[in-house]
Amino acid sequence: MNSVIEVVQVDTDVLIIGGGLAGCMAGIKASESGVKVTITEKANTLSSGCAGTGVDHSWAYIPMIHEQMGWTMEDLIEDHARLIARGFINKELLRLVARENYDRMLDLEKFGVKIRYEDSKIPGKFRIVYQFHTMPSSFNFDGHDLKIRLTREARKRGVGIINRVMMVALLLADGQIAGALGIGTNDGKLYSFRAKAVVMSTGRANRLTPNVTGIWGNHRIPVNETGDGRAMAFRAGIPVINMEFLSSGYYSIGNYELNLGSPRNTVQPAAAVTDADGEVIVPRTRFYDWPNLGKEKVDAALNRQNMLSGGRNARPPYAQLYRQGQGPFYLDLTGGTEEEIKYIEWSISNEGKGSLFLDYLKNQEGFDFRRDKLEWLPNSREMAGTAASGLVVDNGLETEVKGLFGAGDDVGGVPWAGAPGAFTMGWRAGERAAREAGAQKNHLPVDTKPVESLKETCSGMLTSQKGLHWREVELAVQNAVDYYAGDVRAEKTLGRGLERLKDIKKNASFKAENPHELMRCLEVQSIIDNAEMVLAASLERQESRRVPFGFYRADFPEQDDKEWLAFLALKKKEGKFEFSRVPIKP
Amino acid sequence: MFNPIIFNEDVCTGCNICVDVCLMEILAPNPEKGRPPLVKYPDECAYDGACWMQCPQREKGAIKIVPPLPMRVSILRGEKL
Repeated sequence: MNSVIEVVQVDTDVLIIGGGLAGCMAGIKASESGVKVTITEKANTLSSGCAGTGVDHSWAYIPMIHEQMGWTMEDLIEDHARLIARGFINKELLRLVARENYDRMLDLEKFGVKIRYEDSKIPGKFRIVYQFHTMPSSFNFDGHDLKIRLTREARKRGVGIINRVMMVALLLADGQIAGALGIGTNDGKLYSFRAKAVVMSTGRANRLTPNVTGIWGNHRIPVNETGDGRAMAFRAGIPVINMEFLSSGYYSIGNYELNLGSPRNTVQPAAAVTDADGEVIVPRTRFYDWPNLGKEKVDAALNRQNMLSGGRNARPPYAQLYRQGQGPFYLDLTGGTEEEIKYIEWSISNEGKGSLFLDYLKNQEGFDFRRDKLEWLPNSREMAGTAASGLVVDNGLETEVKGLFGAGDDVGGVPWAGAPGAFTMGWRAGERAAREAGAQKNHLPVDTKPVESLKETCSGMLTSQKGLHWREVELAVQNAVDYYAGDVRAEKTLGRGLERLKDIKKNASFKAENPHELMRCLEVQSIIDNAEMVLAASLERQESRRVPFGFYRADFPEQDDKEWLAFLALKKKEGKFEFSRVPIKP
Repeated sequence: MFNPIIFNEDVCTGCNICVDVCLMEILAPNPEKGRPPLVKYPDECAYDGACWMQCPQREKGAIKIVPPLPMRVSILRGEKL
């Protein structure tokens, strides 16, 4: 039966798993040192990852602007650590992102991305808006074709890109990375890679709970990001942190889920949230007073204090307001000037699904931001804080496995690192991986057992007569996560959730008609592993941490910083969970 | 179940770029050369619009994405300007 799966052997120096923003940046940087670099991508690097169809904003410390404000790099770090992460962050990694993203933005410009505008009144001719921090720190730019440009740059530099391969297993030899295995989603072949260094950059863990609209593919972040990196690490016994932070659904543009959430960033300036009577729930935003840049120095500490005291909360608890009988809520740009509306439309057209969304809004709905308002409704659950969960890495982005690096959303510990995290960590991980690979003479010998085992798994699915369709299993897992690791969690129900998941796994024999369906089955296996981590970690964390992660344990309703201001790392060893706490440095 | 992608037979040249870039791998080339791709897995569409964005004949209307009813946004219409 095994003979149906053909094995393709590929040797490379650096293997990059996942060709989103982080993976492409890693490939581009790694190529500079002359080693052989290969990116594997489940879809196509031209369109994959969270920025597959665009990203319009990326926060950075921009010396030529922020120095004039009297706002320092440390202020940005403090703003992010306190306002966004409430102290629950790996500050050294945050520092890497803060320090290096401006340079990465200039690199993007070298790769052909437009980041300067003739009509700009801002130094550098940039377009800069408010996002997370007390000061405007986010570049707005023409990012709609960023992935096309990064793919071109990588190819130009000789980086090998293998699209339509889903990676499922890491190969280790004596605690060191030796390679990885994947399955061709189109050709059904087994790809066996030997590599001297590996960068893991598969993105986020999506599809863990049912979608609120019932449209399977309708998620804010790409629906094919099924936490494959975390699952591969889990299977290899490598620790993963923060998996308990699966958040409750939040409010954003209703039904069509996309990255236009907060009234800051993409819909800045002019966005407000109002209710049915036009009462303001979140006041409209403004452009920074650029003509007066530098005239007044900021008091960053005082601004932070004001923001923390709740006076300027850009994201009120809509769900709670709704339960109190308030709502409906609307994204309201009707107070915007012509210039502001045009700016916002340009911004939306560069962000994620925004380009298609805007076209749909105008041409299919006849919508006009000057006149009409969009209802704000609950979105599907997702892993909270973007890169809050993921691999444990050192300051050089290396995991405890020598030669295995993490990048972008596969790295845990930097909430809301987003695109800046992908640009900077990808670059650094690519550089480190290339150095590591360059110093290693030969590939390590790899065990043939994992290849045989994967062959058996896949051919079993492809020839199964009575196995289940992947959707059936996926929905069972999603329902269990939704119920047992939902808005309220407790010891007994979480324990029951783990039992239920075990039961689902026992019944989950898959049936695949072709390689495409085989990929979906393997994705559901990733989802099962991620779900197990979510439930187990939720059970282990005996406290609540509502802000910023929405984690609530009914049996431990208080936040317990004394015991739990720490990342919870879990790994599997001989079929059992092992937990440890990674301290968070102030 | 859904019909998310509609090709205009008269405009689409069957270049299959959309097949290549589809995030969810839901499209397949038409066995008949020069004709629009087949939407093999319509209910796996992610509505990200990669196919539409990268279509060389987009401006001429070769491809249209139609969000299914539950995805259509809820609008509070204002007075005509």
